Amino acid sequence: MSFIDKLVEKKARQVAQHSSRRGLLKSLGGLLVGASAVPLLPVARASEAPSKPVEYGAEDSCDYWRYCAIDGFLCACCGGSANTCPPGTEMSPVTWIGTCHNPVDGRNYVISYNDCCGKSTCGACLCQADQGDRPPYRPDKTNDINWCLGTSSASYHCSTAVVVGLAFEE
Amino acid sequence: MKWLGFGFFACLCSALAAADVVQVNEARATYNYQMFCQGCHTPDGSGANYVPPLKNSIGYYLRTTAGREYLVRVPGSATSVLKDAALAEVLNWILLNFGGSSLPASKQFEPYTADEVASLRQRPLEEVFNYRLELLAAAMAVPGKE
Repeated sequence: MSFIDKLVEKKARQVAQHSSRRGLLKSLGGLLVGASAVPLLPVARASEAPSKPVEYGAEDSCDYWRYCAIDGFLCACCGGSANTCPPGTEMSPVTWIGTCHNPVDGRNYVISYNDCCGKSTCGACLCQADQGDRPPYRPDKTNDINWCLGTSSASYHCSTAVVVGLAFEE
Repeated sequence: MKWLGFGFFACLCSALAAADVVQVNEARATYNYQMFCQGCHTPDGSGANYVPPLKNSIGYYLRTTAGREYLVRVPGSATSVLKDAALAEVLNWILLNFGGSSLPASKQFEPYTADEVASLRQRPLEEVFNYRLELLAAAMAVPGKE
């Protein structure tokens, strides 16, 4: 035990004799300034998941990247947007969910196709894309049914495509 | 050196305690919940209309054996495309994230395993609504384990 104490004391004194307080401050300062620059490097940014995907295409076009599995009228053409319902309609909390590939950042995102309900069909911008769409015996992955299921009215008006998050890749 | 010994002891204790905590792959379980559960049970587990809530509710089912089995035998679980290990993981994730006040204050529970799930999902339920009400009534009659 005493041997370790003596060894540590000896090494501590050696360090104290060969270093200065200003030198320590200089090193610490350099470290702090350097560390603040690290997150700005592109390597660090690339390794992080983006909080929001980079948008690609126009929301009122069937080619918009989030519409890879949409089947219905685009709310973006009906007074709403890809994320919001038109005034006077109610977004269904019960929805079907799939994934779409974002061509800009090359990642897959989980997309929720919430229907907007409470008015008769919008009739504008009818789109049908069926990536990941499954027959009705897999009801949670079917885009052919009316998803106005959790709303006060079952009248379908239009569909949104809300980004839920990044898809998990094994 | 005394402090070194104490530190080692503290680390050992925390490592042993951590072994009791339910382990899930957060990213994978979140994704599986989003893809296979959230569409009906909603993002925060609140449910909607006839979709039963998971939030502050799902933990009650663990109070009885039949309730514990129900969470796997319910068609949404039993007939899910998720494999046994992934289904066990997402059930544990739901309990951890949405169990809330329905779990004991310690938040400790016996996690589902792939083997348990594999066995239980062989007997999917055909009738759910009335059976769930019976299970919840039975669960509420059992005091929560603290």
